[in-house]
Amino acid sequence: MQFLAITARASLRLRLLAGTLFWIAASIAVAAWGLGGLFGEHVAKQFYGELKTHLDQLTAHLAVGAQGQPTLSSALSDPRLRLPYGGLYWQVDEIAQPDQVAAPAAGSLRSRSLWDSVLLVPQDAPADGEIHQHRLAGPADSSLGVVERVVRIDPRPDGPERAFRLIVAADERLLREPVAAFNSALWLALGVLGGGLVMAALVQVLIGLAPLRKLRAALARVRNGDAQSLVGDFPAEVMPLVDEFNAVLAENAEVVGRARTQAGNLAHALKTPLSILANAATGRDDELARLVVGQVDTAKRQVDYHLLRARAAAAVRAPGARTPLPAVLEGLLRTMRRLHAERPLELVLQPMSEALSFRGEQHDLQEMLGNVIDNACKWASRRVEVSACVDRGSLLIGVDDDGPGIAAADREAVLCRGVRADQQVPGSGLGLAIVDDLAPLYGGELALADSPLGGLRVLLRLPLADAAAQVH
Amino acid sequence: MRILIVEDEPLLQTQLAAALRAAGYAVDSAGNGVDALHLGDSGSYDAVILDLGLPQLDGISVLRQWRAAGRGMPVLILTARDGWHEKVAGIDAGADDYLSKPFHMEELLARLRALIRRAGGHASAELVCGPLTLDTRNSRATVNGQALTLTSHEYRVLAYLMHHREQVISRGDLVEHIYAQDFDRDSNTVEVFIARLRKKLPAGLIETVRGLGYRLTAPG
Repeated sequence: MQFLAITARASLRLRLLAGTLFWIAASIAVAAWGLGGLFGEHVAKQFYGELKTHLDQLTAHLAVGAQGQPTLSSALSDPRLRLPYGGLYWQVDEIAQPDQVAAPAAGSLRSRSLWDSVLLVPQDAPADGEIHQHRLAGPADSSLGVVERVVRIDPRPDGPERAFRLIVAADERLLREPVAAFNSALWLALGVLGGGLVMAALVQVLIGLAPLRKLRAALARVRNGDAQSLVGDFPAEVMPLVDEFNAVLAENAEVVGRARTQAGNLAHALKTPLSILANAATGRDDELARLVVGQVDTAKRQVDYHLLRARAAAAVRAPGARTPLPAVLEGLLRTMRRLHAERPLELVLQPMSEALSFRGEQHDLQEMLGNVIDNACKWASRRVEVSACVDRGSLLIGVDDDGPGIAAADREAVLCRGVRADQQVPGSGLGLAIVDDLAPLYGGELALADSPLGGLRVLLRLPLADAAAQVH
Repeated sequence: MRILIVEDEPLLQTQLAAALRAAGYAVDSAGNGVDALHLGDSGSYDAVILDLGLPQLDGISVLRQWRAAGRGMPVLILTARDGWHEKVAGIDAGADDYLSKPFHMEELLARLRALIRRAGGHASAELVCGPLTLDTRNSRATVNGQALTLTSHEYRVLAYLMHHREQVISRGDLVEHIYAQDFDRDSNTVEVFIARLRKKLPAGLIETVRGLGYRLTAPG
């Protein structure tokens, strides 16, 4: 089970390569074994065929001399038979007849190549004309392939029948050498073939899996916000997956858009009646009027809070968005200058790379930064500075003001929903708290620190969309 | 000072108009984008309160068309849509301020006063011309610290002249800016208001420029 689990997790490339390499190795081993066996068999057949030819020749030349001794009518032609230990041997042994007292000595008639050796063939009494094969130890530590047959000669019509064992042997070196030469050539050839097949398998896996690598890159582009859907030509096998995935993305975007529109419409529909209620109560000094004004403020805060939450919850499920940061900051500062025109504020955007982009939707970025910068403008005496950089692979946006700042002990309380550190500045009190709530939904975080300008520094860390983060 | 209210919810429109009239403004109202576009193009308004979600033509389009036609009156967007992207879009379309619903009427009035004041190039909420001071925050006029008692029409004439002091204002301009559109106008009444104001103010503050109109100027 564990092995199965591992192979299921292993990469497709590894699985394809492992499978292919196993079959290449198995096929080559079987081919080597089969071809080597066939060739060995063929060489052996030829070897014993040759021995039989010599045996036939020996049989044809066998004669019985005048003293009854076996003799050859003429010498056999192969030169190896005359060379001592030449590798090819013959020998004629007389088989003792039942009426003979002592068996004649073995090797009384033999080839010169045997020199002083004698072939000692097991006494297995083959039938007439039958050829037996043996393997024997030969001269000079060789091993021999041997064929033998029994020949009966009746030298005179009235004389006793005589039987001779005719033996032809050859050094098995003659058998082994061509097989070894063939095998080394065979292994070389199969090795080259195997190498070629492995290369072919590698190329095939690389080419075959290229569309998957392309798919992965396309997915990374969607995730990174460079594309809204999977773009590119894919093979027919992958295309249905791409189409389905794009359909899911489109449907997702539509659902998110619809949810946001509905949340926005609901908020809009509630706020106008709330305005009317608040206006009707304004100017009257009774308990009901105070209750209405107070509850309208609470209702507004609740609506704002849940509208932003609904927007953020929808945003994190909408991949493929990317928003350039500098343009959003410029638009917000332009707006802040108008909204805070009554106060002599200097709003400064520090120089930053034009390429800085947030991995998410523009409206969400505007909501978070708008709240942070608006809060800084409300508290600043004269100056607000906005800066941004890339820090540890994410986008780090800093908003500094020269206002009174927030004591370290109070910072946590400021981030609680609806709590205002001071009631002097108008505002819903949601500003920083809502950003602190929203940022984690986008994979970011909010931190408060002391500003070199003397007031509060708000640091907002958000996901960065850039080329370096594409494929991981 | 004449204000145009563009708001499609009738009850809220009525409340706004009542509050603005109580604050001394002449008020016209429109309930849809097309009427608003027409009124803003034809009337002389000192400021506009503009809702965004309007029937027939949305507020942003109305604002863009006014600005494209060279209408420069200050516009305050008053809307339930208070996302920052909507605020940025509103300001970029030419709005001067943005207030989201539900709002406090005092805040709306304060922002409106500030808009009108800034449009006339005045930084302070107190407008001063010689011994005469007009505090736009509470609509009080004083001469050497003594409060003046003014009718609403006298106040409108004086406030308009104070916002445009040292400028020659024609009688027609004054009529445009002190009466709502549906009011039965009579330019002769302007002369009556001017005459009454001259009695309440130190001599020589309101000059008559013959054939052109009136000018509020600090003496000496």
